[in-house]
Amino acid sequence: MVKSQNLLTEVESKELLSKAGIPVVEAKLARSKREATAISREMGFPVVLKISSPDVVHKSDSGGVRLGLANATQVGKAYSEIISSVRKAYPEAQIEGVSVQPMAPTGVEVIVGMSKDPQFGPVLMFGLGGILVEVLKDVSFRIVPVTERDAREMIKEIKGYPVLQGYRGQKPVNIPALENLIVKVSQFVEKNPQIKELDLNPVFAYPDEVVAVDARIILE
Amino acid sequence: MFEDKLKEFEPIFHPRSLAVVGASATSVKAGSLWVWSLKSAGFAGRLYPVGAKGGQLGDLQILPNLRLVPGEVDYVIASIPRQSVLDLLDDCLVKNVKAVQFFTAGFSEMDPQEGRELERQMLERARKGNLRIIGPNCIGVYCPEHRIPFLMGMLGESGSVGFISQSGGIATKLVTIGMERHIKYSKGVSLGNGIDLDASDFLQYLAADPMTKVIGAYLEGTRNGTRLFQTMKEVARVKPLIVWKAGRTEAGSRAATSHTGSLASSAAIWSAMLKQAGAIEVHNLEELTDTMLIFQQLGQWRGIRAAIIGGLADGGGGNSVAAGDACMESGLKVPPLFSETKDGLSKLLGEVGGIFRNPVDVSQAQFRGLAALFQAIDLVVKDAATDVVLIQEDIDILLPIYSRQGVEEINEFLIELRSRRNKPIIVVLPPGSAEPERLQIGQKLLKGSIPTFSSMERASKAVHKFNQCSCWQEAGQGLPEDAAQVNSMTPQQPF
Repeated sequence: MVKSQNLLTEVESKELLSKAGIPVVEAKLARSKREATAISREMGFPVVLKISSPDVVHKSDSGGVRLGLANATQVGKAYSEIISSVRKAYPEAQIEGVSVQPMAPTGVEVIVGMSKDPQFGPVLMFGLGGILVEVLKDVSFRIVPVTERDAREMIKEIKGYPVLQGYRGQKPVNIPALENLIVKVSQFVEKNPQIKELDLNPVFAYPDEVVAVDARIILE
Repeated sequence: MFEDKLKEFEPIFHPRSLAVVGASATSVKAGSLWVWSLKSAGFAGRLYPVGAKGGQLGDLQILPNLRLVPGEVDYVIASIPRQSVLDLLDDCLVKNVKAVQFFTAGFSEMDPQEGRELERQMLERARKGNLRIIGPNCIGVYCPEHRIPFLMGMLGESGSVGFISQSGGIATKLVTIGMERHIKYSKGVSLGNGIDLDASDFLQYLAADPMTKVIGAYLEGTRNGTRLFQTMKEVARVKPLIVWKAGRTEAGSRAATSHTGSLASSAAIWSAMLKQAGAIEVHNLEELTDTMLIFQQLGQWRGIRAAIIGGLADGGGGNSVAAGDACMESGLKVPPLFSETKDGLSKLLGEVGGIFRNPVDVSQAQFRGLAALFQAIDLVVKDAATDVVLIQEDIDILLPIYSRQGVEEINEFLIELRSRRNKPIIVVLPPGSAEPERLQIGQKLLKGSIPTFSSMERASKAVHKFNQCSCWQEAGQGLPEDAAQVNSMTPQQPF
């Protein structure tokens, strides 16, 4: 847990990103079990519930994430379980409720992020998501502002690029859409110098579109 | 681009008059050494030694104070104690000096607090006039055209390669390696702490300098990364820019909350920055000089399809296989030669089979005389399936077979063939037991515009780096994929 006033919640982060034209899976905050089921019905099942707290950085570590909830009963049960599980893990965390969002179909997982280099300022990172980013460190970087050509090069640069091109009969993902997302993120962080770090992790890349499934923004 | 820098830097690289402050008649001080170096190099301007105790340095009188120099002083080299630098800056302002270079060390590089504060005061002082500072903690400029050597007096031929170096030791090494490998410099600078004129300023100058066709840089860090990035982007668009960033292993241990932050090490960011700027990144002194050499020698040519002649005599088989591996691993292509070439070689050398595919083994020529060897080499060089020819010459093997005279003739033929066939030939001379002969042949080839390397790995890596140059892409000229267009389209212009 990081005690931080500077961590925006997923709902807040996605709102900002969405306004900047960056495709995200919309998430809404539910402050009660009842709100959670109501929002779920509105969005349509299956849904995902995640703990919403400015103090919890790694949500799944504390039992704060539940995927593939297929009906209102499951949502209600998951709500209670998430709240009690996070309370137990982080008794002092300020808990706003849970975020509710539609369960996105599985795509190729990638990560797009930003951090600040002491010498060169904001830097974007791109890589394949999940275990590949953490274990293999198969990522590429570019200094902001990132042009379309830079974005294209940073996508091609990773060793896992063939995964994006489609392998074993898989359809290739929409690489221009991915480039576009990277350029939009570059423009977004350029316009918002108060952002210290940012992770879109994962972004799901599909043959027709790309969308950020989870997002985290840390302010200076 | 950056044309204003030409005028601004004229007094730095072509000073009409130069004063060395810190010279002494009695003791061996760096200041005195500097005067001797400049004098013996034949510095093309007026030279004034300055030192508190006065006296004579050869036929030059040492003036006790800079203010006593008759007439104007464009450029000052200062080798004085740290406590005196601010006073000297005052003297420089009075004399309307254009630039002062401080050999004096012991500033922010030694003492981050007090040193940095003194640097700040120096800069503040210089800003009272139009005075520019080079360094401190540096050996300043190198300009063969104007007969300005580095401290130890070495001065090579004037040429087309410009360089900047944050380290004086590396700068000196570049000069000495250049003298040995015929890398001819237009201008060079060791910029030390770079408190005023920094890497970006000198890169801009070299980009504008008409003498400079390719730029090499040794960097350890920057105080203004954003400006350096911008500058490199602009410079790399007009001239090939080769950068060795040292100090890459520093742990990226900054506390970070995001994945991105924890993965963004300083080395990874520098590499990304260089790539994004269009610079060519190298990782050591060998790669830097190898790449500068190949840019100087090959000029506007480009292409990654290599023909390899693995051996000119006995033992060509294994060498050919290893050479092929080296080229492929460096990222070059080794395509099969045209069947006419293979047939021609078979007829000439009386062998058939894979040895004429590419890499080519022409060892059999040793039983048919030099004329057959020359014809075989020519067949390979003129084959249009490739852009460049890499030839491995093992002097240990050639000397007993062809004698000294024969080896001379082989290399004269290569030099002649290179200009006749309008196609780059690169020679690999692996070290062995005949070093004096090998070095002498290397000198001959380098003079004849044939780059030489001590291994196929280094040669092929340099060719690959050469082809990364973003200038080509900016000009809308990607790598030629089509064999037919290669040499007709790009007449070869060595820098």
